[in-house]
Amino acid sequence: MRNTRLLFAVALTASIAGLSSFNAYAQQYAAVDTTNQPLSNEVCATCHGGEGQGNPVVGGPSLAGLEPWYLRKQLENFRAGIRGSQKDYIPGNEMQASVARLSDAEIDDLVNTIAGWKVIENDHTIKGDLSNGEALYANCAACHGADGEGNEALGAPGLVERNDWYMFRQIKLFKSGYRGVHPDDTAGKLMRPSAQALKSDQDVNDVLAYINSLDR
Amino acid sequence: MKKFVSRREILGLIAKAGASGAVLQASNALGIVPDSYVDIPKIPPADPSNRPSVVVLGAGVAGLTAALELKKAGYSVVVLEAAGRAGGRNMTVRHGDLIDEVGNPQICDFDDEPHMYFNAGPARIPSSHRNVLHYCKELGVELEFFINENKETYIQDDAMLDGKPIKNREFTTNARGFMAEIMAKNFTNAELDQPFDQWEVEALMRALRRIGDLDEDMLYKGSIRGGYSHGGFLEHGHALEAVALRDLLKTDLFSMALGQNEGETGPMLFQPVGGMDQIIKGFLRKLPDEVFYNVMVTSVMLQNDGIEVVYEHKGIKYKIEADYCFNSIPTHLMTGIDNNFSADYKEAMAYPRRGEAYKSAFQAKERFWEKDDIFGGISWTNQPIEQIWYPPHGMYKEKGIILSAYNYGGGMHFTQLTQEERIETAIRQGEKVHPNYRNLVEKGITIAWHRMNHMLGCSARWQKSRSGFTQEEERLFQTLRQPAGNRHYTIGDQITKHTAWQESAILSAHWAINDMLTRKSGGAMPGQRV
Ligand SMILES: Cc1cc2nc3c(=O)[nH]c(=O)nc-3n(C[C@H](O)[C@H](O)[C@H](O)COP(=O)(O)OP(=O)(O)OC[C@H]3O[C@@H](n4cnc5c(N)ncnc54)[C@H](O)[C@@H]3O)c2cc1C
Ligand code: HEC
Ligand code: HEC
Repeated sequence: MRNTRLLFAVALTASIAGLSSFNAYAQQYAAVDTTNQPLSNEVCATCHGGEGQGNPVVGGPSLAGLEPWYLRKQLENFRAGIRGSQKDYIPGNEMQASVARLSDAEIDDLVNTIAGWKVIENDHTIKGDLSNGEALYANCAACHGADGEGNEALGAPGLVERNDWYMFRQIKLFKSGYRGVHPDDTAGKLMRPSAQALKSDQDVNDVLAYINSLDR
Repeated sequence: MKKFVSRREILGLIAKAGASGAVLQASNALGIVPDSYVDIPKIPPADPSNRPSVVVLGAGVAGLTAALELKKAGYSVVVLEAAGRAGGRNMTVRHGDLIDEVGNPQICDFDDEPHMYFNAGPARIPSSHRNVLHYCKELGVELEFFINENKETYIQDDAMLDGKPIKNREFTTNARGFMAEIMAKNFTNAELDQPFDQWEVEALMRALRRIGDLDEDMLYKGSIRGGYSHGGFLEHGHALEAVALRDLLKTDLFSMALGQNEGETGPMLFQPVGGMDQIIKGFLRKLPDEVFYNVMVTSVMLQNDGIEVVYEHKGIKYKIEADYCFNSIPTHLMTGIDNNFSADYKEAMAYPRRGEAYKSAFQAKERFWEKDDIFGGISWTNQPIEQIWYPPHGMYKEKGIILSAYNYGGGMHFTQLTQEERIETAIRQGEKVHPNYRNLVEKGITIAWHRMNHMLGCSARWQKSRSGFTQEEERLFQTLRQPAGNRHYTIGDQITKHTAWQESAILSAHWAINDMLTRKSGGAMPGQRV
């Protein structure tokens, strides 16, 4: 039988940067004077998984590996209600509520912290026809890059190492007008026609299966 | 055009239901108190020079139960809790406490007095929940009675009596009177084909007369049981006028008015003196060094001869190794935590849906309900707040905490409002029950359990249909109940057939300990079969 080594826990990685930014996030509570309150500071991970690896049941996608400029843009969009504010879209509401009170400085901190998270291999959950997917992806490549590497100038994020279930939902959201319709959402509006061009769920699956094949 | 139903048709409907015993049994199985007994696991004392180690994830009722029993047997125990407090869903809110709702954190501003608390999660302990009571006794948690049903409270429905609230006693008396009358009339009917003999019919008539307070002709014409319009002590009492059955039928709250003393809330109910979390404090007195706070588990890995858990504390990661892991983290959060469980086990973890629940409370500047003969109990309304609870404790003190909304299984409507809107909604709806409400309440707090940090739910929802577990659901449930690699147990009310009760959380921990003991003594091989 193994001896107890419980209390001699080993420090694995000391991500001190992480510490300060999470505390910064916690400061949003300052608005209600939380002096001396034991604050839990891992609120993003509650929905996005330990180290932001994504949680399909809660619906929070993986954050590790997101480009800092894209991450910042999305946090600002959620905060401003440009994304996620439709009352009948619960996952968007949940995310929106989570960041509605962030200050610019807190967003800076979060972007830095998340940059330090390591990308964990995603489970591929979608099956599709790779050759049809590859043909469809030709339209996407103009903005997202031939290898799905993204294009900052166009505001198009990289699509590799992302949760396929999340991307599936986003394409549906773009199609049905839950994303990419707000007057101030210029980047989203750029994306929306491409989503609408994918006529069936099968097309969406096929193109995502191809995008999955670009992983790793 | 309205279709009228004759008395005979009503009787036919009753008889049809009565004829089908299976139907009755099915409803028993759904609504009625399940069996529970106290059988604390008998754990053989550990060899002090070679103590088995256990890491418990989550310091709710299930985790603390496992930790306490294993510690008593000499195991080396550590409890890792992500929040800054123990208790999980067992949460009592007092002056200065944080409500860590994602996007809507609040600090409670109630007056700082022992009776001024709010049980934001569990609030009732049925006397049939013997294991909860067992631990209350063992841990020195003082109990008092909880009042669930009180006929002096109100029933209010916008569709009934122009939205005017009516005392539950008045509602119940009238409803029961008319129902007894309908039954009596039909039983005197010669068409009955004599299923009962004369003596039986007379016995039934006597009972119906008493149940419904019917007159000599077996008619319901009002009853003093519904309350007096005036008089009663020095002068003759005059009954309130009867309310027509047709008016009462306008509300769907019938079963709420009449049926609260049944099912799980039928037995005598208790609450700990000073708040439900006295139970948690009792556990912590026996586990003074074992529980670690603000440590968020980020990885759980089975190994050949044990389990490795990684957690994060203040931005720094730590690793712990142990022989066994008892894990009460909600399964819908475990799916975001790195692990190497089998595909089957992962599939089972991902199945239960997150439940919703919403509660809110006010500090009342004065105990206005007591002036209305209300001491404890619940008023029911058809508005989204659904319920108003009056504290059964703190009688005749200056102030009290009143529950201003309770929707178990729903409440998303409130979640989407800002804190200010939630408070205003509770006041506006409460005003329909208590006219001067707005001026009597202050310092509102609200809790959406499906948004609480480290929780995001009220209780696991295994069943997609009300008719019970499907075969597939049963398979997933059994998969998750079995230990992963003989080392990792999922515990909590989430892995029982009766979620949303502390009794279930305790029994899940007992089940896991007993299973571990059986496997140990049966020489089962550790690790995963490959
Ligand atoms: C509104 C409401 C009313 C209720 N009413 C009653 C009632 O009247 N009577 C009754 O008996 N029961 C009632 N219940 C049910 C009762 O509260 C639960 O059944 C019981 O408390 C569950 O205990 P548990 O230990 O299984 O889970 P929990 O109490 O949920 O414990 C899980 C723990 O895991 C922790 N955790 C989560 N993520 C992590 C992580 N990554 N790392 C470490 N820890 C983590 C959580 O913080 C939490 O402490 C009610 C529940 C609710 C929500
Ligand atoms: C209550 C749960 C919850 C919390 C807490 C939460 N999120 Fe989210 N987040 C979500 C969900 C659900 C989505 C997906 C929304 C959608 O489908 O549009 C999301 C989406 C996102 C996105 C968009 C990703 C993309 O690829 O466009 C980012 C970025 C993000 N979250 C960052 C964060 C950060 C940083 C935090 C902590 C400050 C946080 N989230 C806290 C639930 C949450
Ligand atoms: C004209 C340029 C353009 C084209 C073509 C395009 N996209 Fe996009 N896409 C964008 C932009 C810009 C965004 C970011 C929108 C935002 O900021 O909200 C985006 C976002 C996305 C997202 C959401 C990512 C996330 O993290 O939430 C997915 C998924 C996506 N695109 C898939 C595709 C697919 C698949 C195609 C091809 C069928 C495609 N895109 C074609 C510009 C484009």
